[in-house]
Amino acid sequence: MNDKLHISRLFALSSDNRKYSFSVPLKNKIRIGKRDYTVQLKSDDKYGTYILWKNRRYPLEVVRSRQNKYEILFNDISYIFTVETPFSLQRMKVINTRKGKPGLASVKAPMPGKLLDVLVREGAPILRGEPLVILEAMKMQNEIQSPVNGTILKIHARPNTNVMKDDVLVEIKAD
Amino acid sequence: MDLSGKSYKAYLERREALKKQYSPKQAEKQHKKGKLTAHERINRLFDPGTFEEIDTFVTPADQPVEFGKVERTFGDGVIVGHGKVNGRLVFAYAQDFTIMGGSLGVVHSRKIAKIQEMALKMGSPIIGIMDSGGARIQDGVASLSGYASIFHNIIQSSGIIPQISVIMGPAAGGAVYSPALTDFVFMVNHTSYMFVTGPNVVREVLNEDVTFEDLGGAEIHAIKSGVAHMIYDDEENTILALKKFLSYLPSNNVENPPFVPEDGTVQDVCEKLRDIVPDDPNKAYDVKDVIQLVVDRNSFFETAELFAPNLVTGLARLKGRTIGIVANQPKVLAGVLDIDSSTKGARFIRFCDAFNIPILTFEDVPGFLPGAEQEHRGIIRHGAKLLFAYSEATVPKITIILRKAYGGAFIVMNSKNLGGDFSFAWPTAEIAVMGPEGAVAILYRKELAESKNPAELKKELVKKYRDKIANPFIADELGYIDEVIDPAVTRKKILSALNALSNKWVKVPNRKHGNMPL
Repeated sequence: MNDKLHISRLFALSSDNRKYSFSVPLKNKIRIGKRDYTVQLKSDDKYGTYILWKNRRYPLEVVRSRQNKYEILFNDISYIFTVETPFSLQRMKVINTRKGKPGLASVKAPMPGKLLDVLVREGAPILRGEPLVILEAMKMQNEIQSPVNGTILKIHARPNTNVMKDDVLVEIKAD
Repeated sequence: MDLSGKSYKAYLERREALKKQYSPKQAEKQHKKGKLTAHERINRLFDPGTFEEIDTFVTPADQPVEFGKVERTFGDGVIVGHGKVNGRLVFAYAQDFTIMGGSLGVVHSRKIAKIQEMALKMGSPIIGIMDSGGARIQDGVASLSGYASIFHNIIQSSGIIPQISVIMGPAAGGAVYSPALTDFVFMVNHTSYMFVTGPNVVREVLNEDVTFEDLGGAEIHAIKSGVAHMIYDDEENTILALKKFLSYLPSNNVENPPFVPEDGTVQDVCEKLRDIVPDDPNKAYDVKDVIQLVVDRNSFFETAELFAPNLVTGLARLKGRTIGIVANQPKVLAGVLDIDSSTKGARFIRFCDAFNIPILTFEDVPGFLPGAEQEHRGIIRHGAKLLFAYSEATVPKITIILRKAYGGAFIVMNSKNLGGDFSFAWPTAEIAVMGPEGAVAILYRKELAESKNPAELKKELVKKYRDKIANPFIADELGYIDEVIDPAVTRKKILSALNALSNKWVKVPNRKHGNMPL
């Protein structure tokens, strides 16, 4: 009954479901393709956190972290990923096989207001948390975000029109 | 003792029998569902080797009437005991789905009640890990009264020791009220469900087809109903988050929360804070950016993140001491107060007050959400809960007004005369009875109607109102706030205010309890 936790390998799962494994504690070598590269993760007062590679600094910022979910900004590109243990990865596979067909998600207006801008186009891929439209309500511009990863199926929202609560703004085909 | 004697042999045999009870096959069955076994959960929660199980060998009660089969197992489907979590004493019970579906029999319920009473007596937090099919039908009314005694114990301990429920499987019928009564509910996505009546009954009675997931899955309870406060994608991370969460809480209502030294990387004066609130009052920003720059590095733990996100609540640390944070979120619904955000805030404030956690409020609120839907659903009595909770709380209460502080919402959000201890405002603050557009429309209705160019006149009047009235300086000069501060020194001001409040003592009137507008 004593299952002590000795985890030496963890996995980073990116938002587009790519898997990268790394060892704990972190080593300075990373493997890309068949070659090993030496990189260093450093932080100081002057530059904040950065990765040192071939004597060049690449700035890194953790934008958001929630338990095992992270959003980082690296070289001005944002990456969303989760960190998984072997068991949680296995669980994820179990859950995924049980999931039904990808569903439709319709994004509705949370309150009455005026649409100022539509930021997406039909057919474009979208990640959870990315902004879809700007809705002005209570004299404030609100970003309405995508609730799922998927593809934009249909846009009902038109800029400079008024919407009522629960009007469908965007339909998304979830992955 | 004679090691080859009868009694020692019997002791060994019993332990052997217990081991056999937990076969790898059953564990495999749980793993295939994406779940851990009760023992694995306990082992992940407690520091290695510290968990002491009690009542391991109890057996199920005899059935009053022979109906259905009861497995004669040790423990009756629940593990109870105590151990150390991050070095602090914590009590726990974990229902074991592999034994009769974790159903709650008489003995099972007695074990839970026993550990609850111990936790209360010792003044330590109690964690309930739930994975149960519900009341054991074979035990009849006895199992129902078992539930009742568990509920009663939770209510007796409420506000004395932190009580946390972790749902890691089904919780249906009466069983759902046990987590609902506790302080916080953790759920696991896709494998845990909570509902009063299951999909089958819903189909029979209402002819409504609904899946387990849509009726009472973790996401539904985290986003819509507000029953679940924290949800995670798997059990390991749920337990890790729970352990982190416990590190913010005191063991009971007479102790202070544990001190966790900060890493010293957050500066008391931070100029970045000046750049967050946009000059255009119609532009939103993320209030969590403000929180992150004020509290100790990475110490903010948000509670009920997905429910009513227009009000942010959570625990954090300031110079190593736990603090409760309530903040309007301009990014969502302009940060208005509505029914859900009011009840969310009220419950959180009452939790902080019960466990000696000072409350820090960041205010940027355009008002209460107008409209028939909210009025008819009772925004008046729900908004009153938030008001009641703020005013009733006797822990140190500090408010920072970031931008909008209009009307009733200004009063509710811990205003000075409601009992707030310190009230600071950033120069961007707008404190007034209502926003410029609304005020101008009322005060200059006649002039606007008669004007040849009403739009131009309105614009002019709005500008005048904003300059002359909707600013923090009038309130400052009249003493309704304590000070207008440079955003950069926010953390420094809060720290000195907390320091001044460290011996705050309020005499509470002698009464049974107030009558909160529930």
